[in-house]
Amino acid sequence: MSRIGPTSPIVLLIGLIILVAMAMAGLAGTEFALSRYLANAIGQLAAFAVLAISLDLIWGYLGILSLGHGLFFALGGYLMAMYLLKHSFEITATVPDFLQFMGWKDFPFYWAGFEFFPYALAVAVVVTLLVSGIFGYVSFRSRVGGVYFAIITQALVYVAMLLMFRNDTGFGGNNGMTGFTVLFGWPMGTSGMITALAVASLLVLAWVLLGCRWLVGSRFGALMLATRDDETRLRTMGYETLRLKLIVWCLSALIAMLAGMLYVPQVGIINPRVLSPELSLEIAVWVAIGGRGHLVGAVIGALLVNAVKFWLSSAAPEIWPFILSGLIVLVVLVFPNGLMDIAKFKFVRPMGAKRLAADLGESRP
Amino acid sequence: MKLARSALLLAGLAGALLLAPPARAQAQALDRAGLVQELCGDAGAMGRAGATLAATAAAGSDEDRAWAAPLARAAIDRKLGCDETGAVLEEGGLDAVTRTPRAATGTPRAPLLSLRNRPVFELGDAAFALRGAPDPARRAAALKTLERRPALIPERLLDRAAEAETDAGLKEQIDTLAQTAALNAADPAARIRAIGRVAENPSRRALTRISALARDPAYEANPEFRAAVDAATARIERGIAIGDALATLYNGLSFASILFMAAIGLAIIFGLMGVINLAQGELIMIGAYVTWLVQQGLRAVAPGLLDWYLILAIPVAFLVTAAIGIALEASLLRHLYKRPLMSLLATWAVSLFLMNLVRVVFGTQNLQFETPFYVTGGVPVIGDFIFTWNRMFAIAFAALTLALTWALVRRTPFGLNIRAVTQNRDMAACIGIPTRRVDMMAFGLGSGLAGLAGLALSPIYSVNPQMGQNFIIDAFMVVVLGGVGTIAGTVVAALGIGQINVLIEPLWGAVAAKVIVLLMIIAFLQWRPEGLFAVKGRRK
Amino acid sequence: MSLTALLVDGVTVRFGSFRALDDLSLAIDYGEVRAIIGPNGAGKTTLLDVISGITRPKQGRVLFDGATDLTEISEAAIARAGLRRKFQKPSVFKGLSVRRHIAIGADVGFRARLDAPALEDRIDEVLEIVGLADQAGRLAGELSHGQKQWLEIGMVLASDPKVLMLDEPVAGLTDEETERTAALVRALRRPDRAIVVVEHDMDFVERIADRVTVLHEGRTLFEGSMAHVRADAAVVDVYLGR
Repeated sequence: MSRIGPTSPIVLLIGLIILVAMAMAGLAGTEFALSRYLANAIGQLAAFAVLAISLDLIWGYLGILSLGHGLFFALGGYLMAMYLLKHSFEITATVPDFLQFMGWKDFPFYWAGFEFFPYALAVAVVVTLLVSGIFGYVSFRSRVGGVYFAIITQALVYVAMLLMFRNDTGFGGNNGMTGFTVLFGWPMGTSGMITALAVASLLVLAWVLLGCRWLVGSRFGALMLATRDDETRLRTMGYETLRLKLIVWCLSALIAMLAGMLYVPQVGIINPRVLSPELSLEIAVWVAIGGRGHLVGAVIGALLVNAVKFWLSSAAPEIWPFILSGLIVLVVLVFPNGLMDIAKFKFVRPMGAKRLAADLGESRP
Repeated sequence: MKLARSALLLAGLAGALLLAPPARAQAQALDRAGLVQELCGDAGAMGRAGATLAATAAAGSDEDRAWAAPLARAAIDRKLGCDETGAVLEEGGLDAVTRTPRAATGTPRAPLLSLRNRPVFELGDAAFALRGAPDPARRAAALKTLERRPALIPERLLDRAAEAETDAGLKEQIDTLAQTAALNAADPAARIRAIGRVAENPSRRALTRISALARDPAYEANPEFRAAVDAATARIERGIAIGDALATLYNGLSFASILFMAAIGLAIIFGLMGVINLAQGELIMIGAYVTWLVQQGLRAVAPGLLDWYLILAIPVAFLVTAAIGIALEASLLRHLYKRPLMSLLATWAVSLFLMNLVRVVFGTQNLQFETPFYVTGGVPVIGDFIFTWNRMFAIAFAALTLALTWALVRRTPFGLNIRAVTQNRDMAACIGIPTRRVDMMAFGLGSGLAGLAGLALSPIYSVNPQMGQNFIIDAFMVVVLGGVGTIAGTVVAALGIGQINVLIEPLWGAVAAKVIVLLMIIAFLQWRPEGLFAVKGRRK
Repeated sequence: MSLTALLVDGVTVRFGSFRALDDLSLAIDYGEVRAIIGPNGAGKTTLLDVISGITRPKQGRVLFDGATDLTEISEAAIARAGLRRKFQKPSVFKGLSVRRHIAIGADVGFRARLDAPALEDRIDEVLEIVGLADQAGRLAGELSHGQKQWLEIGMVLASDPKVLMLDEPVAGLTDEETERTAALVRALRRPDRAIVVVEHDMDFVERIADRVTVLHEGRTLFEGSMAHVRADAAVVDVYLGR
């Protein structure tokens, strides 16, 4: 891959993210500080951007579309929520509402140890790797790909949603988990905590962006693109593409999990709706709108779409679905590389489908 | 204590009834004057009179019944005036025996029913009402009264009442009561006969009835009775098991029919263009909404045809959804054939749009559908299995759709074109098949089939803007399992997934069924990644 | 080292009821250039698919070096054993530069193992051989058809394979490019390398092949030198025409 110049978009973007993070940290507590709402919104947007990067890594660079990435996002979110609840319980000694609804006096046994963050983190990593590893292995081994893979992942996240909607699983059922009061010993909901979470999310975003840029620029990244363009060819050159896909898939799942862990303390709730197929499809839309196969595009797509969504969900929630579907059609038909096309002023007529296919490297079903 | 006392009372009443000799002789002629005399007699005489009245209600001639009917009521309400010459019905001032107008002589005495006799007269009054009252509500109330004392109901009263009953619901209740009465009859032979009759129609209710008899004193005392109860229990249990198995099969079949209808359009489109249409669920939903609109239209224009809306909506639902599909293909998907993953997103956008459009126009509530007579009720077969017509409608509809689709794809020039383009698009284009047109028409066909699916499920499932989401993922699984673009694969996969879902659901619940089905499909893909009926060939 | 590089032993491949290969047996020796010819549907590409592990035969085996049964190991393992193939349809990675292609071909592994200067030298050398040195920085998707063919040959060459399979290497090339390809193939001939070429261009085959195998309906119709092939009545009937 080409060298990164000082004015290349990715460097500018990472610089900007760090700058915003530093400004937020520096101005905290002064009269110039952002409002709590805005700071919180920025933090959530950063978590979504991390989620978008995770999908772009496998869709844009590996050509595998997952319509079930919300599963890993939710995994991180749920395990973070378990830590938060257990931690809050240690201090307030009140059993969370959802357990009281079920008439349970105490946490189920599998909640043991979640008050220790390192343990919660380790469980999150292990479970994510197990789920993504097993599912990825069986899918890639039988060479399930393309549209098949997309709809099976969608079914996976749907089934997970149904499962979590049940109230007897000990994970909050349809109401989800909420009522987090303490994080790492600090009270939640204060301006300071909100700013700290947003800054942390921004820094994680910058770090993930940097790491992924390094990965896709390396020889391994070249092999990812080669797998996307012609997997059989690469295999007949001696590369075990199964292993390569599995590694990237699991990595992507881990990044999505991380996004979930950042997201939950900022919104203060997790419920099975993050497992709805709609959310997972929306992630793909962010990436498509931003321009897949471009890390910067994925981030900008996630920020842009969610910023509009935040704004509209208070102003006119009922027109959001119409705007979203219009945006998708526009991107799919007119700007197949999303904002990257607009950035390059590369307007393409919809009829040039063949050329587009060549551009996109997605010619086989 | 209370229970024991009323049981004692009931036993006493039963004894009184059995002892009353006129009960047997009623078939000939009723001694009207004697009856009236007894009514004015002492408590014992009145008890005999009550029994006679009840027996008359059950077995008396029409004239006798018409004559005797007011007496029970009058005795209960104390509207019977006894004097030296007999008695006068205060209502209308008629002689109790001759029913000619006359005034009472002297000071008439209104006899008071004893605590023991009162239920006997109430029973008699209800028995007359059940057979004679013109108002069904009055008959239903009478039945309620009778139900409280099944052991006292005179033999054959209920049979005759059921024969004459015109209201179907009431008739069924009478039959049920007749069985209960027979099971509780005093004559052991009658009881055993009744047990046999109950066992002829096995159901959970019948089982509860019969197994209650195992606690009856006769069960311990009478070996014949015990054998009859045991045999009946076994027979009913077997019937229930068979019925449950059939019901599961039947429900699975109807679910599979819906799945098939939802998936067949998807499979044709996927086979032809490699496009999974995520808006298929919304096309199903629109099919159901069009059906509803046809119903509303008929209600306004031709109410006489309202019952036939399900049939009349068939072409409308098909054409509307097919037109939407064709428009979708021509405006959107045509440009995305080489980019199947992007077409996933595009069709999702369409799904989002359609769902929210319907939500805005019609609201989110469930639509109300008339139930035409041909999808109402069902035929009880065995056990608790009822062959319901609404499910049969879906099954028959799916079978018909399957036959027509198969004929269309296998036997028409259009179908030949579809198969040619599915197998080798470039080659088909080379020999002059208008592939673009075939794509468009096939997309229309697939969408129209989704519309029909919506129609077929509207009598069974609730219809609202979100309904498409409930079927679409199952439909995907059918396509994945069945393989690309094969009708046979779709049928087998739909049957398999439908039956497995219905089999697992009662054991571990609906969610577990979905989880297990998904895991099974993933496991299956290890063995056959291309689906059940994949066509093998050299990899390109 | 055994003299026989590849021993195809009773291989049958079925697609539905169609027998693409029907109990086919043949041996290819080190040091030779073997051309496989035959009418369309004779099973030529399927034979290469079986050798490179893309298609698994229903019966039979393919022995490499007299020891390894190629029908039992993965495509990647076959390639790592030293069998490389150029596909009929130019298969290049649109999103990668020409130089990356050669690098991927030269060294197998998720991280480069050759030390950097050695790898760079090898890449330059291969680019020189296939005449793409001045295109090194371009994306493969932007190359012309002929350049893609050469790039593929370059990728295959870069690994220094023991068995080199070329599926229609001159299809769609100009006469001059065909000329160059023929010269290249002859130059690649080595005592410790077997080269298998599937091609329809008889003049090209005549110039490069030591021996020719004619396939027909999944079986060997004839095997010998090109001169003998041209003289064989059966071959003329089914393939060359009079």
